[in-house]
Amino acid sequence: MNIGGIDLDTFLTAMLATGLLRAVPLVLAALGEAVAERAGLLNLGIEGMMLNGCFFGFYAAYRTDSMVVGMVAGILAALVLGLVFGVLTITLRVDQVLVGIAITIFSLGFTGYLFRDLLGGRNVSADVHPLRISIPGLREIPIIGKALFDQQAIFYLSWALVPVFAFLLKRTRFGLNVRAVGENPFAADAAGVDVVRVRYLAIVIGGIMAGFAGAYLAVADLRIFTEGMTVGSGFIALAITMLGRWNPYRIVIGAVLFGMLRALGDGLQVIGVDIRTEFIGMMPYIGIMLALVVLAGRTALPSALGVPYVRGHR
Amino acid sequence: MAAGREPLSPPTRTVDVMRWQFGQTRSQAAERGEGAYPLPADAAHPSSVAASGAPIVEMRGITKRFGPVVANNHVDLTLREGEIHAVLGENGAGKTTLMNILSGMYQPDAGTILIRGRETKIATPADALRQGIGTVYQHFTLVPNLTVIENVALGAEPGFLLDLAAAERRLAQLLTDFELNASPHTEIRHLSLGQRQRVEIIKVLSRGSRVLLLDEPTSVLTPVEVEGLFAILRRLRANGVAVVLITHKLEEVLDVSDRVTILRQGRKIGEIGPEVISSGDRAAIRQRIVEMMFGGAPAEAPSASARASGAANGSTLLALQDVTALGDRGEVAVRGLSLELRAGEVFGIAGVDGNGQKELGEVIAGQRHVTRGRVILDGQDITNKGVAACSRLGIGYVTDDRLGEGCVPGMSVAENTVLKMVTRSPFSKGFWLNRGAIEAEARRLIGQFDVKTPSTATPITALSGGNIQKLLLARELAMNPRLLVCNKPTNGLDLKTAQFVLRTLREQADAGKAVLLISSELDELMQVSDRIGVIYNGQIVGIFERAAADLEAIGHLMLGGRERERGVA
Amino acid sequence: MSGRERLRHAAVPFAVSLLAVFLACLVGGLFLELRGKDALHAYQVLIERGLGNPGQRTETLKQMAPLLIISGGLAIALRAGVWNIGIDGQFFVGALLCGIVVPELAGDVPRAIVILIGAIAGLVGGLLWAVVPGILRVRWGLNEIITTLMMNYVALNVTSWLVKGPVRDPERVAPETKQIPLSDRLPDIPGTSVHIGLLAGLLVVVLVGVLFRSTVLGYMFTALGRNRRAAIHAGLPVGRLTLLALLLSGAFAGLAGANDVMGVQGRFSGNWHPEYGFTAFALVYLARLNPFAIIPFAFFFSFLMVGGQSMPRRADVPTYYIGMLEGLMLIFFAATVALERLWSRATRRAPEDAPLAIGAASAAAPVSAESDAGDGAVSAPQNTALSAGETR
Repeated sequence: MNIGGIDLDTFLTAMLATGLLRAVPLVLAALGEAVAERAGLLNLGIEGMMLNGCFFGFYAAYRTDSMVVGMVAGILAALVLGLVFGVLTITLRVDQVLVGIAITIFSLGFTGYLFRDLLGGRNVSADVHPLRISIPGLREIPIIGKALFDQQAIFYLSWALVPVFAFLLKRTRFGLNVRAVGENPFAADAAGVDVVRVRYLAIVIGGIMAGFAGAYLAVADLRIFTEGMTVGSGFIALAITMLGRWNPYRIVIGAVLFGMLRALGDGLQVIGVDIRTEFIGMMPYIGIMLALVVLAGRTALPSALGVPYVRGHR
Repeated sequence: MAAGREPLSPPTRTVDVMRWQFGQTRSQAAERGEGAYPLPADAAHPSSVAASGAPIVEMRGITKRFGPVVANNHVDLTLREGEIHAVLGENGAGKTTLMNILSGMYQPDAGTILIRGRETKIATPADALRQGIGTVYQHFTLVPNLTVIENVALGAEPGFLLDLAAAERRLAQLLTDFELNASPHTEIRHLSLGQRQRVEIIKVLSRGSRVLLLDEPTSVLTPVEVEGLFAILRRLRANGVAVVLITHKLEEVLDVSDRVTILRQGRKIGEIGPEVISSGDRAAIRQRIVEMMFGGAPAEAPSASARASGAANGSTLLALQDVTALGDRGEVAVRGLSLELRAGEVFGIAGVDGNGQKELGEVIAGQRHVTRGRVILDGQDITNKGVAACSRLGIGYVTDDRLGEGCVPGMSVAENTVLKMVTRSPFSKGFWLNRGAIEAEARRLIGQFDVKTPSTATPITALSGGNIQKLLLARELAMNPRLLVCNKPTNGLDLKTAQFVLRTLREQADAGKAVLLISSELDELMQVSDRIGVIYNGQIVGIFERAAADLEAIGHLMLGGRERERGVA
Repeated sequence: MSGRERLRHAAVPFAVSLLAVFLACLVGGLFLELRGKDALHAYQVLIERGLGNPGQRTETLKQMAPLLIISGGLAIALRAGVWNIGIDGQFFVGALLCGIVVPELAGDVPRAIVILIGAIAGLVGGLLWAVVPGILRVRWGLNEIITTLMMNYVALNVTSWLVKGPVRDPERVAPETKQIPLSDRLPDIPGTSVHIGLLAGLLVVVLVGVLFRSTVLGYMFTALGRNRRAAIHAGLPVGRLTLLALLLSGAFAGLAGANDVMGVQGRFSGNWHPEYGFTAFALVYLARLNPFAIIPFAFFFSFLMVGGQSMPRRADVPTYYIGMLEGLMLIFFAATVALERLWSRATRRAPEDAPLAIGAASAAAPVSAESDAGDGAVSAPQNTALSAGETR
C-alpha cells in the first residue's frame, strides 16, 4: 500500500523504530528518577546529568572509538553530579529544587564550554562500531520486525533494564527501603533502616541512569554532540516518571508514546502531510499535561518527596 | 468490663512460647526444614522464659532535661517478664520521654539502664529493637503504601533479595492469632486504625521483642478494638513478654495492668503492685491513684486579682450541638460534643492531651472541618464557615503551635502582630500597608503585654517562646473578639507572665467576653475559670461550677472515671 | 535594632552570596588553568569588555533591562512560595504577541501609545501563558514545577509554528514577524544610547520592592512563602494568592519579552532563543529575593553576559564559561547558605527545646485532590534562601 509515494510498511516500521529509539533515553532516565523520587528526592538536575552523560560519553567514544568506554565515561560524569546533589540535599539539607536547577544550569554551561574547548564546536561524529544484534527470522516480521529485532546490543540491554528495575523496587530489600524512606522516613528509621544511606544510593542510581541515558543518546543513537542536545529530555523523563507513578512498566508506555509522537512529526513530513512540525512537536508536552490533569486524583507523590529528614522530628 | 484476670502462671511449654513468638510449632518447622525466626540469644533457654516476674529491664535514676524543663527526674522503673506494667500520668508527667529513652530515641542525661542485669546503652531505635525492646508509637510507624508483610519485613530481612513468601509463612500464625482479618498483602492505608495497631505489634514481635512498649494505644481505638487489644496483651503476658502501657486512662490501668507506676511532673510518685491490684477493690485503688496524681496543695497561691469572681450569668454566646470532627490522623477527635459558652465567663477545658481539646478549639475557631453537628454563634449558624469568617464575626484563637502556625518566622515582630488583621484599617488603606499604624499597634501591644523584644523590627524568631506566646495573645485581643479560644496560652511562660496572662483572660471575661481556656494545668483552670469542663475521649464528661470543683474529682474524670463512681467506697 | 546592628543584619546574607560568587570564580578560574588558559587574563578581558569602554557599557546596560524585568517577576513568585520555572515560555509568548501587535499600529499611532500597547501585549501574553499552570495548581493541586516546565516547550513550539506560518512577515524568507520601524522602537534615554527599557526594568524592580515592602498584597505573598501553615491559619486567601503570584510573574516575563522585541530585535524571530530563565533564577537567589539587591546583581550578570561574548576571541575561552559560572555560583550558593543556616542556629538563642516539635515542612502530596490545603515543601521554597537573615 502506498501513501504519498512511500510504502506503508516502511513508513510504519520507520515510525516504530524511531519511536522506540527515541524512547530509550527517556526510559533510562525515568527509571533512575523513579528510584530517586520514591526515596523522596526530586531531582531537577536530571537534565544536567543527562547532558553531562551526553558530552562525556560522546567525547570518550570519539577519542577511543569505543562505545563501551563512552558509555562508562558518560555514566561516571553524571554520577559525580549526582553525588553533588546528594551532598547538598541530603547532608546539607538544602532545598532540592534549588540544587537541581543549579546543577542543570552548571551542566549546560560546562558541557557547552567543553564542547567548544575540546572539540572546537565542530559537529564531528564518533566513529564507533557498536555491536548489533539481529535476530534472523524474527526480523522478517513485517512492520515491527526490523524495529524490534535488528538493533544495537545496547538497545536490548536498555530495555532489559526495565524488568530489572521493576524487580529492584518490588522484590529486593533495597527497593523496599526506598519505598519506605520516601513515604515515611521516620518509620523507616524506627525500623532500623539507614535513611541517609538509602537516599544516597537512590540518587547515585538516578545519576547513573541519567548518565546512561545521555551517553546512549550521544553515542549509540545520534553519534554527535551539540549544545543542549537533550532539549528537555531530562525534564520529560521526570514528567513521565510522575505520570507512570514510578512504575517501570507504566514508564515504558509513557516513554514509547512520547517517542512515537515525536517521531510522528518527522514521519508525517516525509510523506508530505502538511501539518506543521511544531504542531506535532507540541503534542507530547500537551499530552503530558492532560495526562497529569486526568490522573491528578490518583497521583499521590511519596509524602516525603522534597523533605529533608531529621531524626527526632516527625 | 470484667475485672477477672488470668493467674500469672509461667508458660511451661517451650513449644507454646516458640509458637507464639515465632509463628510455628517446632514440629511444623521441622517438617518444613526451616529454622526458627531469628531470635535473641536467651529466648531459647527455658529458664529465662519460665521465671515470670524476673526483671528484664531496670531503669535507675533516669534524668532527662530539655533546656530548663526536667522531663524525667531520677525516675526508677522496673519491668518484669510476664507482667503488664502501666505508667500513668497526666500532661507533662514525663511518661513519653521515659518511653522514648527506652526505645532509643533519646539518651538520658543521668541514670542507668540494665537489661537482664547488664548495664547497657540504648543508642538508637534499631539498637533498642536488637536488644529486644519493641515500641508501638502513638503515631504509627507504618508506611501507608506498603503492604502488611512489607511493613513487617522492613529493616528486618537480611540479604539482597526480599523473600516475602517466606516471611508470610513465618508470620502466618501470628497473623491469625492477631485476627487481622485482612490479607497480608493489603496496603496499610486500607486498614482501620485498630488493624494498623495490630500490624505494629506484630512487626515488633516478629523481631523477637521481649519488651513491648505501647504509647497511649487506645487513643485511636473503638471500644471493641480496645477489648481486642487487651486480649492480645494478656496473651503476650502469658508468654512472658513484659508489656509497658503508657496511658492516662485509669480504667485501662485497672482493667488490664498488673502493676502501676505513677509519674507526676517528671517524678515517680508511687507504684502500686500486683498484690494490691489483684485484691479487687477497684474503688479504693482508684481513690488512691487519684490522690497520688492530683492530691496535695497547689504549688503557688494564685494572686487574688486573677481569681474567678464567681458564677457568671451572661447569655449564651456560643453553642456547639452534637459536633463531631476528625483529627489529623482521621480518627474521631470530637465525638458528638455539645457545649454552651456564656458571655462574661471563663470556661476552662481540663483534660489530658489528645482527648480532643485541641480539635475542639479549632472547630470553634473555624480552623477545623465539622463532619456533623452545628456551631452557633449568638444565634447565627457558623458551622464550617472558615477561619476568615469566624475571625470577622469576633472569634479569636490563640494557638499552642506558636512557630508552626501562629507566626511567620522571618517576619518581624510588628509584621507578625497584624497577620490576622492586615486587611483591616488602619493597618491598610486599600492597597497600601500603613506601616506607621502597624508600628504603633505593635508598640502598644508590646508595652501593654510587656513583650520583651529589642524592637518592633526584630525577627520574631529571636524572641523567647514565652514572649512569642504573649504576642500571639496580644494580637488576638487587639482584634477585640467576642469569644476567645486559648489553647495552652501559658505554655512555656514563667510564673509571673503566666499570671499576667491569666489575669488578662479574667479581665476579658469580666468585660463581657467569653473565654474558652484549654489547658493542661489544673491549677490554672481552678484559679481562673467560672466553669470547668472535663474532656475525655472527645466528649465533655462533666462540668463543674467553680465553687463545686475539686481537683481530685476533676482528675478522676480526666482519667476516664465515671461521675457516679466518685466517692463510692 | 541599632543602625549598626541593622547593617550587620542585612550584610550577612549578601556576604553569603558574595562568598558564593567568589568561590565560583575561583573554582572556575582553577578549571580554566587546568585547561591551559590564562584565568586571570580571561577575567581581565571579561571586566574590560563588559565595563571597559563606553560601547560595551552601553551593551551591558541594555542587557540589564530584560534581566531586571524577568527577575522582578520571578522574585514575586518565589517570595510567595511558587516555583515558576516557565518564565522562558512566558517570555516568548509575550514577545510574540508584542511582535504581532506593534507593527500593525506603527505609523498610524503616536509612538508613545504604540510602545504602551506593545508593553501591554507583552504583559498579557506572559500572563495568559501562566494561567493554565496556575489554575491546575490551585484547582487540582498539580505541582507547578512540572506544568510550567512543560508550558515552556509548548511555548517554543507554538511560537515557532506561528512565526513560520500565520504571523510571518510575508516579505521575508526568514521566520520572523514584521519589522517594527526604527521610529517606533523604544527610544533611547536622552544623552545615552541605551534604550528606555533599562528605565522600565528599574521601574519594575522598584515597583516589586514597593510591593513587598508597602502593600498588603506583598505582605501576604511574603507570609505565604515563609509559612504556608500560618497563612492558612490566619485566614489569608491562599489559593488566590498563589494564582496571582504565578500570573504576575508570568506577566512580567512577557513584558521582558516585549522589551527585547521593541528595544533590541525589532521583531520576533523564530531563530531567537535567549534563555534568561536560568540566569534569572541564579540572579534572584543570589539577591536573596530582595528586589533592590537584584539591581546590582543584574548589572553583574549583565556584564558577565556581555563581556563573555568577547572571551572566545580575546582569551580563548568559550562563552559557555559564563553559563558554567552561573551554575557554579548557584551551587556554591546552596552550600554557603546551608553553612549560614548552621551558623545562625548555633549563635541564635533557642527559645526552648521542644523534644517532639513538628518540623516546619510536614509534607502532604503536592499533587493531590485537595487544592491548596496541605502542600509539601516541594511546592514552596520555604527554603534556605529565604531563611536566616533575609532582608526586605
